[in-house]
Amino acid sequence: MATRVTYVLASAVLLLAASTRAAHAQEPTRVQGLVTNDARVPLSGVSVGIASLGVGAFTGDDGRYSFTIPAGRATGPATLTARRIGFQPINASINLSAGTVTKDFILASSPTQLEGVVVTALGITREKSQLGTAMQQVDASELNRSRDQNIVNQLAGKVSGLTVTGSGTQGGSTKLTIRGANSILGNNNPLFVVDGAPVSNASRGGSPNGGTDFGSAINDINPDDVESISVLKGPNAAALYGSRASNGVIVITTKKGRATSGRVATEFSTSISWDAPSVLPDWQDQYGQGFGGEFEFVDGAGGGTNDGADESWGPKLDGRLIDQFTGPQQPWVANPDNVKDFFTGGRSSAANLAFRGGTDRANARLSLGAESIQGYIPNNKFQKITGMLSGTMQVNPKFSADATLQYMNNDARNRPGVGYNTGILEQFIWFGRQVDMGALKAKRFDENGNLYNWNYNYHNNPYWIQYENPENDERDRFIGVGSLRYSILPWLDATVRATSDLYRLNINQQFATGNLNYSDPSYSGAFNFTNDYRNETNLDFLVSANKQVTQKLDVSSTVGLNRRSEYFNTKTQSTAGISVPLIYNVSNAAITPTLNQQDTRRRVNSVFGSASGTWGGWVTLEGTIRNDISSTLPIGENSYVYPSGNLSFVLTEAIPALRSNALSFAKLRGSIARVGTDADPYQLRTTYAGNSNKFGKLPLFGLNNTIANANLKPEITTSNEVGLELGFFNGRASIDATYYTKSTRNQILNLTVSPASGFTSVAINAGEIQNKGWEVLLGGTPVRMANGFEWNSSLTWARNRGEVVELSGSLQTVNVGNAWNATVEARKGEPYGVIRGIAYDRDDNGRILTEEGFPVHGERKVLGNIQPDWTAGWSNTFTYKRFALSALLDIRQGGDIFSISSMFGQYAGVFEETLWGREVDWDNPGITFNGIDVETGQPNTTTVISEEYFHSLFQLHEPFIYDNSYVKLRELRVGYDLPASWAARLNSRAVNLALVGRNLFTKAKINHIDPEFSYQTGNFQGMEFAPLPNARSIGFNLRVTP
Amino acid sequence: MHKQTTVRVLAGFAVAAGLAGCDPDDITKVNENPNNPTDAPAGAVFTNAAVAGIGRFLGWGYNGRGAGLVIQHLAQTQYPDEDQYRRLDANSTSGFFNTPYTAELEDLQKVADAGQEADRPAIYGPALALQALIFQYITDTFGDVPYSEALKGDAEDAVLLPKYDAQKDIYAGLLATLTTVSADLASPGTVTLGSADPIYGGDPASWQRFSNTLRARMALRLINVDAATAASELQKALTAPGGVLRSNADNAVMEWPGDGVFNNSWANNFQTRDDHRMSKTLMDIMLASNDPRVPVYAQPTVSDPTKYAGMPNGLTATVAATWFNTSSRPGAVFYPGATAYGNYGGGGASFPTQILTYAELQFIRAEAAQRGIAGLTAGQAKGFYDAAITASLNQWGITNAGAISAFLAHPNVAYKGGTDGLKQIAVQKWIALYTDGGTAWAEWRRTCQPSTIAPGPAAVVQYVPRRFFYSTTEISANSENVAAAVARQGPDNFATRVYWDTRPTAAPTCS
Repeated sequence: MATRVTYVLASAVLLLAASTRAAHAQEPTRVQGLVTNDARVPLSGVSVGIASLGVGAFTGDDGRYSFTIPAGRATGPATLTARRIGFQPINASINLSAGTVTKDFILASSPTQLEGVVVTALGITREKSQLGTAMQQVDASELNRSRDQNIVNQLAGKVSGLTVTGSGTQGGSTKLTIRGANSILGNNNPLFVVDGAPVSNASRGGSPNGGTDFGSAINDINPDDVESISVLKGPNAAALYGSRASNGVIVITTKKGRATSGRVATEFSTSISWDAPSVLPDWQDQYGQGFGGEFEFVDGAGGGTNDGADESWGPKLDGRLIDQFTGPQQPWVANPDNVKDFFTGGRSSAANLAFRGGTDRANARLSLGAESIQGYIPNNKFQKITGMLSGTMQVNPKFSADATLQYMNNDARNRPGVGYNTGILEQFIWFGRQVDMGALKAKRFDENGNLYNWNYNYHNNPYWIQYENPENDERDRFIGVGSLRYSILPWLDATVRATSDLYRLNINQQFATGNLNYSDPSYSGAFNFTNDYRNETNLDFLVSANKQVTQKLDVSSTVGLNRRSEYFNTKTQSTAGISVPLIYNVSNAAITPTLNQQDTRRRVNSVFGSASGTWGGWVTLEGTIRNDISSTLPIGENSYVYPSGNLSFVLTEAIPALRSNALSFAKLRGSIARVGTDADPYQLRTTYAGNSNKFGKLPLFGLNNTIANANLKPEITTSNEVGLELGFFNGRASIDATYYTKSTRNQILNLTVSPASGFTSVAINAGEIQNKGWEVLLGGTPVRMANGFEWNSSLTWARNRGEVVELSGSLQTVNVGNAWNATVEARKGEPYGVIRGIAYDRDDNGRILTEEGFPVHGERKVLGNIQPDWTAGWSNTFTYKRFALSALLDIRQGGDIFSISSMFGQYAGVFEETLWGREVDWDNPGITFNGIDVETGQPNTTTVISEEYFHSLFQLHEPFIYDNSYVKLRELRVGYDLPASWAARLNSRAVNLALVGRNLFTKAKINHIDPEFSYQTGNFQGMEFAPLPNARSIGFNLRVTP
Repeated sequence: MHKQTTVRVLAGFAVAAGLAGCDPDDITKVNENPNNPTDAPAGAVFTNAAVAGIGRFLGWGYNGRGAGLVIQHLAQTQYPDEDQYRRLDANSTSGFFNTPYTAELEDLQKVADAGQEADRPAIYGPALALQALIFQYITDTFGDVPYSEALKGDAEDAVLLPKYDAQKDIYAGLLATLTTVSADLASPGTVTLGSADPIYGGDPASWQRFSNTLRARMALRLINVDAATAASELQKALTAPGGVLRSNADNAVMEWPGDGVFNNSWANNFQTRDDHRMSKTLMDIMLASNDPRVPVYAQPTVSDPTKYAGMPNGLTATVAATWFNTSSRPGAVFYPGATAYGNYGGGGASFPTQILTYAELQFIRAEAAQRGIAGLTAGQAKGFYDAAITASLNQWGITNAGAISAFLAHPNVAYKGGTDGLKQIAVQKWIALYTDGGTAWAEWRRTCQPSTIAPGPAAVVQYVPRRFFYSTTEISANSENVAAAVARQGPDNFATRVYWDTRPTAAPTCS
């Protein structure tokens, strides 16, 4: 199959190439002109062309364009169109004749995004007014207002219906969801497409239960190379991308070269910012380590008085002299900043230099970027180097070639662990509040070369973790796109395109002698190496037609073939013991290393097509159809067809009488779509798994725990949406609103079965999730004054309501994730992602019952839901002459968190609220819990010791479920355009200097932690343990625009 | 335009479209799993199951954080949550239910199925005998559990939510299986598990003795509720062809490679955790009789290296911490040498696990003799009793004849006969079953001995658990069948007694 398709594609290329010989030029008509914006500033990159003839060119930096039409091709009247992303397109009638025709254009910007040119599926640029589906485009200027390490973090608050949850951990994974979760256990992440190449956003994450968050792969993309990002919000807009589009598509278009009439233009930007953790817990600083008010250090492992305790129920910090880890008879005093002192000042700097230039036949852009981040955790660093080359060559009037090649290198050092057992902040939640961090910083080893710590029972010295357990992960990645395009007829193009995204990720984790979690104490350390190789290759063959059939009717159509091949290979080598210290190499393994190897392949062949017709410029009807043949489904079920249709109706064009000074634009749109999704590979047959370790010499094989299903069918998502777009006062204000409903059924689930069946789960098709919701984008210019002052404002708002409508048979719930006996579940009749755990036991009036003064643990119940009620972003920009001030608020309302930080922060007596009832006199305990005594039925009068009260809450989840609402000042920017004369000295058009800030302010309902956290990009969200807070950063940006 | 070219291009496209679209069968080859086979050698599957099952029920987790505390062989000086029964809630003990079914029981079923298909008793016999051992631990821990419909998730008529069988029926089923296995192993054929069997090296005769001995253990477990069946099954087991264990040399033992990957899990725990001490209940009884096994079972206290002492069970964290240096750590034989908190012992990583011992068999015979059942008479009891204790001492490395006879002569130990004798048998068996907390716990429930086992002051219930809670996974996924079991057996809590525990008054040692 592979060879046949390759052969056919190769033949197609040869045919195209052969046919170019037939094209020969005659006497030309030359069309030329100047394009400016309404301030008469020349606009580069404007596409000017005659659609009916398939000819055109882009303007250069001077705003000038020119192209030629061979004589005999056409004469007489023709429609010349000028269009550029972010501007309203303009048509002009010209009369073609031999010689030169000159036509200038003035383009008006389209601030409301209702009109203008946008990038849609398959990278096709379309008039937004003709789209029948919901999409939103974010351009570079808006995207890069403040710089974040991860490009997708910059989308937060800017796109309605897109929920962006940053990881907190610097360099960690960002969770993205568009319109809620579709799939119970499958992938709910949008597809990323860069210049037509589907690219990986795979993540290797952690969880609240531990691990390391190695970040998500989309992080590799250099924000400075991005021209625009289009968010296609649902299956409706994205049906052409096939199965992966059911969660929406994020289409990234990179900057390209342009004709610069021989001169090379330089683009430069640099930024520096200083980073600090945005939120840290509120600690108590009155009592130190120990239990029952007593503490004396002997060996830090239980040998003294409560010196094995990793809790702070010890003596009052009143300056008395106590034997401590720092020495005998040391003053017992508070160190309120001991955790804060652990964090160092982070610093991020980035620079990007790009050159572009070309002629009307060939152009190119070359870009080099570097980014260096000093994490706010000691000894934690990130470096990113990117290089990008893109070029276009017009071989002859009919034949053109495009290529883009990106290389990225992403290198991280000593990433902190996350969650329980491995998280760096865990060291401070199980903690002695009196600990002198300076002593730990000064000394990681004692006189005998052993670990020096405040405790020798359960925890490592946090500095020792960061300095003596080196971690390094590095991803090398190439994304390449090459395409050949041949104009068969003026209205008919054929394109062959090959894209590839491949990366290699090496993770090298090393653990020094005595590391509690990994290293066998009998040996000299441990290691864990992971090597991932991932590759996705797509071959596309597309034929597109674009024809004005009559004066009023424009028809366009695309049919295509796609072959997608995915390959993923992962290998791990790990051991808990090495022989010679500090040599972290397989050859130095003292304990036979455990090896693992997984190869995963998938192939999908597709045929697809779309056709649309626009009548009179005001009504557009479009239909798409796609047939996927997937390798992962059984014969008979692996070929599936799905259609979509959409309609756009511009009321103000259809009924000109509607148009008034107040209402300048009105459009209605509607769409119906269906998308099929295949299974993950290798789910059709139950297999045995081997073990690289032998029991003595004996090999081991065990049957896998999931019952395979040889009869799987594709998952089907159907989605309907209607939208209304209104523009007022000539574009001064706009509203773009969408209502959608979405349903995914035949879900491929690993359904939990009784373990007594011999298996944990069975792969089945069952279940249905429905989502419905609203997305609103309001935009406007409330103030525009003659003196140049302008205030632009935009508000995005979205709410999604999801429900698990059906699971399978009598099955009530599917477990999505769990921590500390609380679960995140997809539960029938509930929204996706409810949190279930143990509630307080209550009487009929809802009052909490107590027994011997302690709250009684009750039944397991639904205690919350991880999905927000609504999300919003409010962006305001004020410009005055050379100054611009912009601010973005990012708001999340509702949704719940199970806070394991609070559970253990209270258990261990380190959080501020544990001062409640803490009497110095331990014989006179101090908490009388407000509840009803279970024996007497009367209000509780039994008073209990604070320490025992907080310990009694363990394994009770209700007290630790918090509202996850928050408001963040996500971005703040004050920019200044340097005088044009300065810019001219740099041979550039503009130089802008800005003061920028990110996450400057957070207001949340939950205490102690940054409410925005994510350990990975999977479905298990809403539970946290000691997440690292998102960085609060302040810095400068300098941008030189050619 | 050049029509011919256009036609050729479009023709090429049409051919490509046809090819891409017409071959949905071929592409499925991409989905052949290159990592894992759909079939595996029976020997490798048996090894995997044996390592998992023995490691679980005779390893650390089930003992150190479960039965070993409940039965007060051990106690906790730090984080005494399990010792207070607090972290013996449904969530904490679900793994003792869920994982054995999906791991060793299912794997053993696959070995047994393959062996039966090929009519190879030396393949399916050991698999079914080991499976019976694991099933007994599970049903003794929880009571009614899935049995007759279990392990059929991938069968032709798949059972994804198996019903719970009454423990009475499970015991009947297990006894019948062991009977058949023992009989079939009499003519084992030539194909055996060989070295893939890490317990008996595939020797059919050893597995025959194992089956008969395990049948004897199971039979006696029923004595309070069905004395007739217990007696007749016991007699049949003790006299079955092939015999029972003949000496310590016949013990079912798992040798751990101790290579850092497959360690005895007791040593693995002690590598990083220092939460456990000897229980006062066990140490008091052993110290009172000058038991020569004390220095093997326990280490001297830190505060006084000349002394051995246990600590009380079920204390609050604050009180438990005060016993850190004044009570004994478990024996040096279980410790790996280097630990996170200092050097203790050595060689614990490869310390062998005793699965089924000659000592236990002799205690079974002693009790049968004292009761005058299974063809034995009370006059034989002392002989079996002394032999049992001697076997246990030998097993723990005490071979000095003088030390052994001195111990046997100690007033607390010297056999008294009658009900006192039955109590002595139970107490000495409980001591001998150190490291097999599950069996010891079941024996205590059956015999009420030693009578000094009682919940600690901070325990969440004021009695010793008589079973553990059903798995949270089961309650969620298999709720109807769990509900039926609860309706039959009693509330899903620590207090409900499993079938063989429902008539404590029938035990002479309980009064």
